[in-house]
Amino acid sequence: MTGDRSREEPLFRPLTAWRPKLILGSLFTGAVAALLFYSWGYQIRNDIGVAGINRPVFWGFYITNFVFWIGISHAGTLISAILRVTSAEWRRPVTRCAEAITVFALLIGGLFPLIHLGRPWLFWFMIPLPNHRGLWPNFRSPLVWDITAIGTYLIGSILYLLLPLLPDLAILRDRHTADNPDSARARIYRFIALGWRGTAQQWHSLESGIRALAVIIIPVAVSVHTIVSWDFSMTLQPMWHSTIFGPYFVVGAIYSGIAVLMVTMYLLRRGMGLESYLNDKVFNNLGLLFLAFTLIWGYFTFAEHLTVWYGNEPSEMAVFTERISGKYARIFWAMVLLNVAVPVLVLSFPRGRKPWLTAIVGVGVLIGMWIERFIIVVGTLSLPRLDFTVGSYQPTWVELGILVGSFGCFALLYLVFVQIAPIVSIWEVREGDHHLNQVHSATEHPVLETT
Amino acid sequence: MSRNASAWLHAVFDSPSDARDALEELAQEGLTFRDIEVRSSIPLEGVHPPDLQLHSRVPLMAVLGGIVGGICAFMLTSLTSQAYPMETGGMPIVPLPTTGVITFEGIAIGAILTTVATVLYECGLPRFRTKSGPLDHYLSTGQIVVAACIGDGESPEWVSKAIATERQDADQEDRTSSS
Repeated sequence: MTGDRSREEPLFRPLTAWRPKLILGSLFTGAVAALLFYSWGYQIRNDIGVAGINRPVFWGFYITNFVFWIGISHAGTLISAILRVTSAEWRRPVTRCAEAITVFALLIGGLFPLIHLGRPWLFWFMIPLPNHRGLWPNFRSPLVWDITAIGTYLIGSILYLLLPLLPDLAILRDRHTADNPDSARARIYRFIALGWRGTAQQWHSLESGIRALAVIIIPVAVSVHTIVSWDFSMTLQPMWHSTIFGPYFVVGAIYSGIAVLMVTMYLLRRGMGLESYLNDKVFNNLGLLFLAFTLIWGYFTFAEHLTVWYGNEPSEMAVFTERISGKYARIFWAMVLLNVAVPVLVLSFPRGRKPWLTAIVGVGVLIGMWIERFIIVVGTLSLPRLDFTVGSYQPTWVELGILVGSFGCFALLYLVFVQIAPIVSIWEVREGDHHLNQVHSATEHPVLETT
Repeated sequence: MSRNASAWLHAVFDSPSDARDALEELAQEGLTFRDIEVRSSIPLEGVHPPDLQLHSRVPLMAVLGGIVGGICAFMLTSLTSQAYPMETGGMPIVPLPTTGVITFEGIAIGAILTTVATVLYECGLPRFRTKSGPLDHYLSTGQIVVAACIGDGESPEWVSKAIATERQDADQEDRTSSS
């Protein structure tokens, strides 16, 4: 059962010494991330008026980005939990990189309500603390549900990432301690491994804990994006007030989550030489899941628009027409192309589920899903039910800077994580190899029973 | 290991079956699970002292944590709503559907936190001052370390294996440092 050293070497490489490529990548993404903080700082100094949001479009890029990033966060924990609960063996190299996506996407997504607030220091008004005016958060508001759900999901996802990380941190601790017990890395890993020893009882408890967390986190993840959708559907705005918005958003979230997972896995595979872990089989299996969600998302989108068109309610039709043949038609049809036509045409064939192709499709779906969020948020708000408030929206450089910066921020967090923890779960992969060896030895030496 | 480290002997095994054989041998010599510790970099089914009953209260604690979390969330929602009763146009001050959303999240966070706390408690973590065993670096390459607290004259065959392994390890370290 000894770990295959040469195979495992790419996993340890970024954790044992500084890698110029990773440092350069971190610096570059750090510079892009700085754009977010510069733009946000500019907005704080000059007030929210520097953003393009105005009456009636009070939710512009910021809420679009919020929904987009929270959707992305469904890549990891949910996918990883589902694969764990169903004991899918091919999940082993995927889970860690997926879980990390969740945590970082949630951190980025959680920033946007603060940015949108204009005065982020007043955020504590949302926390259930009695203040000097005797006000409490209104628990009937979906915006307060949002805070609760996202807070729960963030805490759950961080713990769901960290708990299975402990044995790997202990592996790194033992490795670094053997090399040089006084090195900074050895000391850091000694601290963050929390004294994990890998005894039978520890493994038993850890596995019980991971199983329990996987079961708990699935409904939480579903609730998060359902509640995000309720921010919209609890209002009476045209094309928001829909009963299928909850599942529609959840499906869209998982769909965009798989897309970002595909892209990230491809970049990790290429950049870190992880071909033996993130192999063609993994991409093929995830590609099939990707295709399934393409079809489900396409079905929901069709159902949503068909109902509106058939109902022919004037205020809904105004928004609908703008989408199909009006101001938003070009981006709407681009969304349909990127989210349905291209994925179906490419992913339906085994050749289309090659890593580089799934990554390209993934980039397209990410763009498509961002457009979808934009159309939902801005499309409806610019054509509300009361037509005397009709208006339009044009983002400013501040909002664009924050959008671009958020991608840099996400990539930076991911690159830093890759240099601290193994991005493929070493113990889970070893466990998978061990199971495989057991199966092989059982088939090579079958036990014959005579009666 | 709670005992004096010098009283423990360590051995490294490549395969779970070898480790299991050693454990059975130790058990036959009368050693109990209190005198033996098996460490590995992956969970190994059945590779533990035969008399050790593995147990975990994680599922039970998760349920209890969920119940407590749910009650706390419901109290928070209902009590704060009643403390500052807003005008609701004839609708209930504490409507169950909306309170249910917060209560659900409370159940989840309660279950999550107790799950993690129970795992840490059962694993005896965090334990920052624990020193690594002499052969623990073998764990990083996927081998299994068996440590046993043995007095003089006990389990001679196993002891000789363990000492051999430790010597071999020491020799390897010497070679590494000299090269």
